[in-house]
This record gives sequence, C-alpha cells and structure tokens, in this order.
Amino acid sequence: MIFKTAWKNVWRNKIRSLVVIASVTIGIFGGVYMIAIMNGAIEQRVDSALNDELGHVQIDVPGFRDNYDIGLTIPHPDSVMEAAGKLPGVVAMTPRTIITGMANSARKSTGVQILGIDPAREKEVFSLYKSTIPGTGSFFETESSRNQAYIGHELAKELNIVRYLVDDDMLQSLAGKGVPKSILDKLSPYRGHRFPSEKSFKKEMKSVLSAREEQEYGKTIVTEAWSFRERSRMTLTFLDINQTQTGAVFRIAGIYDTKNSMYEMSQVLVRNEDLHKLTGLAPDQYHRLIIRLDDMNEAGTVSSELGTRFPGLEVMPWKEIQPELAMMTDMVEMFYTVFMIIILAALAFGIVNTMLMVVLERTKELGMLTAIGMNKKRVFGMIMLESVFLSLVGGISGMLVSEALIGITAKRGINFSNYAEGLEAFGVTSHIYPEISSTFFIMVTILIIVTGILSSVYPALKALRLDPAEALRTE
Amino acid sequence: MKVLEIKDVHKVYNSSEVKVHAVNGITLGFEGGEFAAIVGPSGSGKTTLLNMIGGLDTPTEGEILVDNTNLATLKSSKLIDFRMRNIGFVFQSYNLIPVLTAKENVEFIMNLQKWDKNKRDARTMELLKAVGLGDRVNSRPSKLSGGQQQRVAVARALASKPKFVLADEPTANLDSKSTETLLDIMEHLNREEGITFIFSTHDARVVKKARRVITVEDGKVISDEHKN
Repeated sequence: MIFKTAWKNVWRNKIRSLVVIASVTIGIFGGVYMIAIMNGAIEQRVDSALNDELGHVQIDVPGFRDNYDIGLTIPHPDSVMEAAGKLPGVVAMTPRTIITGMANSARKSTGVQILGIDPAREKEVFSLYKSTIPGTGSFFETESSRNQAYIGHELAKELNIVRYLVDDDMLQSLAGKGVPKSILDKLSPYRGHRFPSEKSFKKEMKSVLSAREEQEYGKTIVTEAWSFRERSRMTLTFLDINQTQTGAVFRIAGIYDTKNSMYEMSQVLVRNEDLHKLTGLAPDQYHRLIIRLDDMNEAGTVSSELGTRFPGLEVMPWKEIQPELAMMTDMVEMFYTVFMIIILAALAFGIVNTMLMVVLERTKELGMLTAIGMNKKRVFGMIMLESVFLSLVGGISGMLVSEALIGITAKRGINFSNYAEGLEAFGVTSHIYPEISSTFFIMVTILIIVTGILSSVYPALKALRLDPAEALRTE
Repeated sequence: MKVLEIKDVHKVYNSSEVKVHAVNGITLGFEGGEFAAIVGPSGSGKTTLLNMIGGLDTPTEGEILVDNTNLATLKSSKLIDFRMRNIGFVFQSYNLIPVLTAKENVEFIMNLQKWDKNKRDARTMELLKAVGLGDRVNSRPSKLSGGQQQRVAVARALASKPKFVLADEPTANLDSKSTETLLDIMEHLNREEGITFIFSTHDARVVKKARRVITVEDGKVISDEHKN
C-alpha cells in the first residue's frame, strides 16, 4: 500500500516530476557517455599498445632495457621459448633483435630503434601488419629481396619518403569527392608540383585557400595529395657487435599507420637475418622474447612463473613495462568516480529540493495521515520511497538513453578527426568507440538508489517533525 | 460501559505575554453508541477539546481515558497506533488522499493494520454501499462532489471499527442537501454499528439530529443536554 501510494504520489505533479526526471536523465546520460568515450579511448590505446607494440610479457637479459647493449643477448633462447610455450595461456612467442641507430634519407636523418623480427612469428604475436597503409607495400611478403624495412607513417613523412603531389589524378579524384571547382582552380597552377613534406604542402595551401575552404576541404586535399614513391630507400646506420659503425641501404617494404605518432616515428622493423648479418650477431642471438597470452590479465602470473624458472632473465608483464598504461586505466577509474560523484551530488540536490517542496505542499495531508494512524516509520518510508522512485525513474531512463547511444556509436565509432593530431600524439586514435562495462551500469544503478535514499532523509525528517494537530490547521 | 472519559481537563497555551485557557476544567463521559454534538462559538475551545480527545494534543492538566487507557501514558509511537485502532476521524475539509480511489482511501487504515484481503474488501464494499457510493468505488476524490468525499471520509473513519468517531465540523463545507444525506448516513451507521459519534459543530441541522448536545463556552461546559 505504501509502495502504491508513494508511486502514485510521484505522478501527482506530473510536470514537476518530469522536469526532475529529465534533469536526472540528462545528467546521468552526460556522465555515463563521457565516461564511455574516455573508457573507449583508453581501452583502444591499451589494446593497440598491447597488440601493436608491447605484447603481454617481455623477456630480456637484466640491464638490456637500460642501455640496449648489443652484446646482452638471451642465452639459449630456444630452451626459454620451449619452456614458455608449455605454460597455460601462452598463445605465441616472437624473438627480436633490438638495436638503436639512425635512419637517413637524402635530406634528413633521425634516431630510431631497429627491431629485427621474424615476420611469420611476429604476425602471431602482433597485429601491426594489419596497419599497412594500402599501396605502400606489405609486411615483408616479397621474399626475394634482402634488406627491407617496414616503417611508420610519421617516419616516412619525416624522411620525405612520403610526398605531396598535385597532378591530374589528384585533381580528378578531388572533383569526385565534391570539392568545388573554385578550389580546384586554385590548385591547378600547382600541377606537377611535389612537396617534400606535409608541412610545406599545408603551408602552400594556406596561402591560396581561405580559412573556411581550408577547414572544410584541407584534410581531403592533403589525403589526396599524399603519394608514396615506390621502391623508396633509406639508409640505416648503427654499431655492430664490435662497436664499429656500419649500415646498409634498406628498401621500404611497407608503411604502417598505428595512430601513435611516437611509435611510428621511432620503430623500424627489419628481418632478423638481415640485421644479424650486418651486426655480426649469430643467427640464434636475440635480445628479447615477446609472449602473447590469451588473457592480458594473466601477464603477472605468467611473468612470475617464468621469472622463477629463469632467474638469470628479466621477465616483465606489460603493466611493468609501460606503467603509464596501467596508470591510464587506473586514472580513468578515478575519473569515473569523480565524475559520478559530481553528477550524483547534483541529482541529490535536485531531489532534496523537490521533496522539500512536496513535504511543504502536503503538510496538511501528512498531518491527516499521522492523525488517522500512519506511524512515523511509515511516513518516513513513504517520503523515502517517493525520492527513490523519482531518482530511479530518472536514473534508469538516463541509463537506457546512454546504453542506446553507446550501442549505436560503439558500432560506428565517433570521429574526432578534427583533433586527430593532438590525440595521436598521445597514442589515441581519432576514431573512438565508446565502451562501458556492464558492472559499471550495475554500480551506477546502485549508486542512484543510494543517492535517492540519502537525499530523501532530510525531507523525510522534516515530515516527521510535523505536529499533526498543527499540520491539520494549515490551509 | 464508558468508551471515553474526560476528567477535569485543562489546556493552557503559554504565549509570550498572556496565558490562554483554551479548555478550563471540562469533565465529560461518553457511552458506546452515542450521537453527540459539541457546540459553541468560535474560540470556545471545541477544536482544542476534540484534538485532546483524539490524542493529537495533550492536556496541561487532567486525564483523558479511552476505553480505560489514559492517553497521556502512551508514548508517541504507541499513541499513533492506539489512534489507528480506536479512534476514527472526519475532518472539515474531507482530507482524503487525492491519488487514491474511494476504495483505496477507505481500506487505507485496514491496510496499515494488515487486514486479510477478503475481509478488507468485504468491509470496504459494505461501508461504501452504506454511504451510498457503491457505484463510485474506483473514483478519485477529484471526481467526487464535496458531499460524496465527506461520505468516503466517514466510511474511512469507520473502517477499522473504532471505539468512537471524532468529526470536526463535518458539514461546514456542504450544502443543505448533502448535509442532510451525510447526517442520515452517519446516524444510520451509528445505530447499525453501535459506534459513538462526537461532532464539533456550528450547524443547527447537526444539533437537531444529535441525541446529546454539549454546549461549551470559554473552555467550560455550560450545558449537557440528552434528548430522547
């Protein structure tokens, strides 16, 4: 009866209740959706870091991580791999040779880390090979030629391996993409012109296009002008095992684009056998073994197991290799909490305000109820239930709206390409897929109920303090 | 047997400057099945007396015994429970719960007392028929006239078979036809159920129907007349 009466009381003043419910809905939706975006971005970042860059567990010789000394190779890597392969949860492994060096093109040079890899095994551990930009080649699929390098898009731009070209093809495809003729006319004087870098091309475009034109079509123009010189080469120089400067010309096998500009800029992949020959390392000498697990959360357990079996090696789970990734995950949890506290506090004030108004308006009725025999516990319970219903209806509708929108955008993703540069500098892609766990939904629902209960206490106490005789006299 | 005894009851309101003797030594007794009106001009102490009888207010001095229980000895929560089981209330402005139907309003107290559903339904229908609203059970108060609302209130007051019903100016907001109907219904139920009715009223029609008329002035009983 109290339930039924409380529920009916919620709808006594429909407009007021709907306004409160709408504000709760919007508040919850705003919070949950923001969190879903943040969470999605971080998950994608962690995902791509683990799948493209880190793997789940790394094994090196102690000290290698500090100075990348070429001599610090893993003794008997085969026996380590055999032992690791027997552990439950281990899916694949790949050995790497890692040296630091310089990448040089005709115009520029920059410091890089050169990773010697075994392409077939690498594909079992990492999915970087899927990030090859179409038209730039492949992930070491052409067997024949020696000395090939698979490099990042940023490095390709830096070394002018990627260029920006205005030609008939480019202008035609721009027209096909709906770029107005007025802009094409402004571009056509550059026909046949090559720009060595994105920067110089953009600078030139800025001088001919208006700010609006640039904002609207700049990205499309840059994308269409992008061109890759096939059979491009670069030189890698480094120190061999005897600390003698050495190097070789490498053909570009392919260019990858991971949306993490730092990684793209610094990591060059070459075949293990090429690197071994150039550095003088023996064919079974590797600096690092990288393991992929079927569950990334098992990394700690597998690491400690391998660590005890091979005390002479340094075995690290991904959370230790890149503590900032773990920190990002933790920080997002902290953000959740702060965000939700702010939203729930606003919700609480809204409900306190409404319920105080309710108690004030119904003074006479509450007096009557006490007079005819409704005890304090029941009056308190009724007011509390009304608050809980109000917050629950708002909360649930907020969650449903969030769930629906997250569901829709999780499939398509949200395009933040206007902020791509900034995001990619942090290793976050500009196409974010919002994501939220069901435990979070359950937690928020519980929190809403708790907030409803807490915010009803004060108005309900106010109702309890009413003197029935006096309350009955009010008009 | 007396259902209600009022023994030398005083009520003094202490405002900052003056003491107001709202009730000044009233002694009365009511038997089961009485139909009594307390009359008197505004400010004579009728409502204060009724509030004290109903346990909504406490006397400064004196005792009120309902079915031999001194209300002053009951703690607040016990008193509310005692009221629910022993005293029915009818208010001047009906005071029904606007979001509930006539039926739900009547069974509200039985619900609080956790009556069995069948018993509750039977009692509710019996009362609503008795007050002539058997066909309006599912109407909300806003769909009922003032007289009809007050009849629902009477049914509610009687629902849990109290020792007596207190009605504070029950006809003050009603036209003469509704007043007539309401009084007839109350009198009928009074005889049928043997429940004592005590009214405070200005209304000559109520006084005419009452079988006992107690006149109060300046907080004192100046006459107590039993009619036959």
